Amino acid sequence: MNSINRFIARIFRGVFPGVLAIAFALGSATLPAGAASTTYLYQNQQIVFSHLASSNGVAMVGIQDPGLRGLLKTLGAIVTWRPGRRYVLITTAEPEVISFAVGDRNYDVGPVTSQASVAPFARADDVYLPLDALLRALYLAPKPDGSRTVLQPQLGSIDVRAAGTRATLVAHAGAPLAARVVSESADRIVYEFDGVGSTLERHRTIDAGGIRSLEVTTSGSIAAPKTLITISLASGATHGRVHNSGGNDFEVAFTGASSGAFPHGVAQAPATPMPAPSITPGASSVSGEQPSAPPAAAGPAQVGAVTVAQTSNGSTVDVAISGNATYQWHRLRAPDNRFWVDIQNAQLTVPPSVQAEVNPLLSLRVRQNDPTTVRIALSLAGQNVLAVSPSATGLSITVDNQQVADAAHEGSGSIGAVVSVSEAAPAVTPVPPEDYGQGSPSWKFGPRSTYVPTNPKLIVIDPGHGGSDPGSERNGTKEATLTLDMAERLRDILIARGWQVKMTRTADVDVYQPNDSARDELQARDNIANDAGARLLVSIHVNAFINSGPHGTTTYYSKPEDVPLAQYVERDVATDAGTKDDGTVKSHLYVTLHADMPAVLIETAFLSNPDDYALLVSPAWRQKVAEAIADGIDQYTQQYPVPTTGGQ
Amino acid sequence: MRRIGLLVVVLALVVAGSWWFFAHRAPSHSTESLTVYYTKMDGTSMGSWNVSMRPQQPGESSTEHLQNMALYAAVQSVAGPPGDVEAIRFPPGTHINTVSVHGSTATVDLSHEVTQQVGGTFGENGEFKGLVYTLTGVPGIDAVQVTVDGQKLETLPGGHVELDQPLHRSDF
Repeated sequence: MNSINRFIARIFRGVFPGVLAIAFALGSATLPAGAASTTYLYQNQQIVFSHLASSNGVAMVGIQDPGLRGLLKTLGAIVTWRPGRRYVLITTAEPEVISFAVGDRNYDVGPVTSQASVAPFARADDVYLPLDALLRALYLAPKPDGSRTVLQPQLGSIDVRAAGTRATLVAHAGAPLAARVVSESADRIVYEFDGVGSTLERHRTIDAGGIRSLEVTTSGSIAAPKTLITISLASGATHGRVHNSGGNDFEVAFTGASSGAFPHGVAQAPATPMPAPSITPGASSVSGEQPSAPPAAAGPAQVGAVTVAQTSNGSTVDVAISGNATYQWHRLRAPDNRFWVDIQNAQLTVPPSVQAEVNPLLSLRVRQNDPTTVRIALSLAGQNVLAVSPSATGLSITVDNQQVADAAHEGSGSIGAVVSVSEAAPAVTPVPPEDYGQGSPSWKFGPRSTYVPTNPKLIVIDPGHGGSDPGSERNGTKEATLTLDMAERLRDILIARGWQVKMTRTADVDVYQPNDSARDELQARDNIANDAGARLLVSIHVNAFINSGPHGTTTYYSKPEDVPLAQYVERDVATDAGTKDDGTVKSHLYVTLHADMPAVLIETAFLSNPDDYALLVSPAWRQKVAEAIADGIDQYTQQYPVPTTGGQ
Repeated sequence: MRRIGLLVVVLALVVAGSWWFFAHRAPSHSTESLTVYYTKMDGTSMGSWNVSMRPQQPGESSTEHLQNMALYAAVQSVAGPPGDVEAIRFPPGTHINTVSVHGSTATVDLSHEVTQQVGGTFGENGEFKGLVYTLTGVPGIDAVQVTVDGQKLETLPGGHVELDQPLHRSDF
């Protein structure tokens, strides 16, 4: 939002309060505060304000005013306020949040703070807001029209966002914006908006993304205004299709050469920042709790104890190292939240180890990766803020609970005496993410489960939904039907491969009892797996969304020990069934949380996406999915054998 | 008598001046900001934007201020980013009924429209992740208990995310 340059409406600064005062005086000046009423016209609908008051001569309206509530409803706005509360929050249809507070003249409209002439005040069980500021925030202007006052929707803002040779123009108004092109030629295009007025700046030079300038003019009457936006185009500029996202917004993109400068208040879309690696050169101070370094030795550095500690902001990993070494670290891109440090010219002097969750660390593994490299691999909860720095005893990795959208993905440094990278052992070429899992992948995922199944050959398959809960639906195709079909296919494959299988349901029924609660239903499915002492629980689902955009396969997990299973299944389904790999995602899901054993919920594809839908209704594709899930289970169980005791 | 009269006039001027000052001063407004998070359409990564937060106002207790900040954060989160930003959004019409803070847990009461999910974990997970990240960005709040029309639900009807316990950032 900060990159958006508001072409802010200037309507109201001088003229608007005066007009409002006159309108208010005409309607209510002779009536006592609280009993006055005044009538406005908004799109041919009478709006009667009856909860009116005055503060220093400024018209105030109560938030409980039926007329105001009616107007807000017409505008699609929602009020959040309770008697006695200081804040009045109005969410507009855009959506944008308008915020007033009792006793504070400042008010916010989205990210923009403005100042009203008087502050809201509380009286009885109502809060009175300055009417001029409120209408301004709603992009409405009162205009005297004979004996009546019209609340005229205004073109509130025009934003131009430029990025390279592309510029996007976004207009917003106090009423639905229906645009039509009234004139178009090679050097200009004119859009007409019926029903809205404007006092925006008439001319604006742009010179970006194929737009030279824009001109805003108005015509029509007070009750039926029109606003024209004339866009002068650079030679060869093109424009895209108009996008009307929320009714009150108008958006259109332009492409073309520009001078390269953005001299007239055009927001340049920021390039994705790439912060510098968070490496602190030099040693940091350490407390007495730090692990002690192993004795110094000539030749390769020696890597000793690796200690994980919880901190108030996250966790720290301290690696005891003696001798000189260089290190390189790498972080995969979201949603794959793995990170590793390769300490080169180093020997591991302690056994390879695995450590379990210390938030936000899901797991940590240490091993001798090759004869000269020790690898410390972390599985993180997300793209957490992370810093790698040499310490007095070796290397310190701090992982913060905070997450960052654009984390650095690699870095390097040295430990001990200054050793240049070229003097150290040859750098290990990072293995591309898609190659992980080949060979010996056991270091890379989450911790091993400490759960000991009483029946290690049993896998419980849960076809999602069913009975009174059909799940998502499209064209009569129910999620519950698709999940049962895939589950039955998976059952047959697993049995053929020597597994025992239990299904939570084998028909279109509720598992617990008809019309049960969601909790009872989900717990019943977990109980089947828990009571049987199963090795794994695999819940099969079909995703959906309110629009058709999202597509692909996602595997959800909740517990650290679910992660490896989720990774194997996700990779195999996305690869073998040809869906988009949306990755593994941690979530607070009932069915995976309450399973004693490693459990995953696979959202195989989106019923709401046409391409995914075509796959979902194909029996051949569903068979591929079942085989891919079975492959993932097989790979997981090979790499993660059943623990013989409850400990590591 | 003349001195007393003068004193009365001076006192009256002081009182009037003080009243005018306190009545017309605009509380400071620009020192705090709130990061409002939303889940992007990849279903997992987060986007955000900043809005200003009012500092504690004269006469507003610390407890009331925290409640107000939590309410503001929740309303911003449910509203979501501007309409032209692609984001996972709550079902249309979903709004905040109330927000209260007890200890470090904010209880957010959502309107029943939140139950109008189209199915699938994608939307549910993204909606609650954005809400939890936003609320826990308010200093003093580290967990969010979701209720719907005043009722604690185990999950949304036909849903997936467990809601009968407070949600933390580490749950996502």
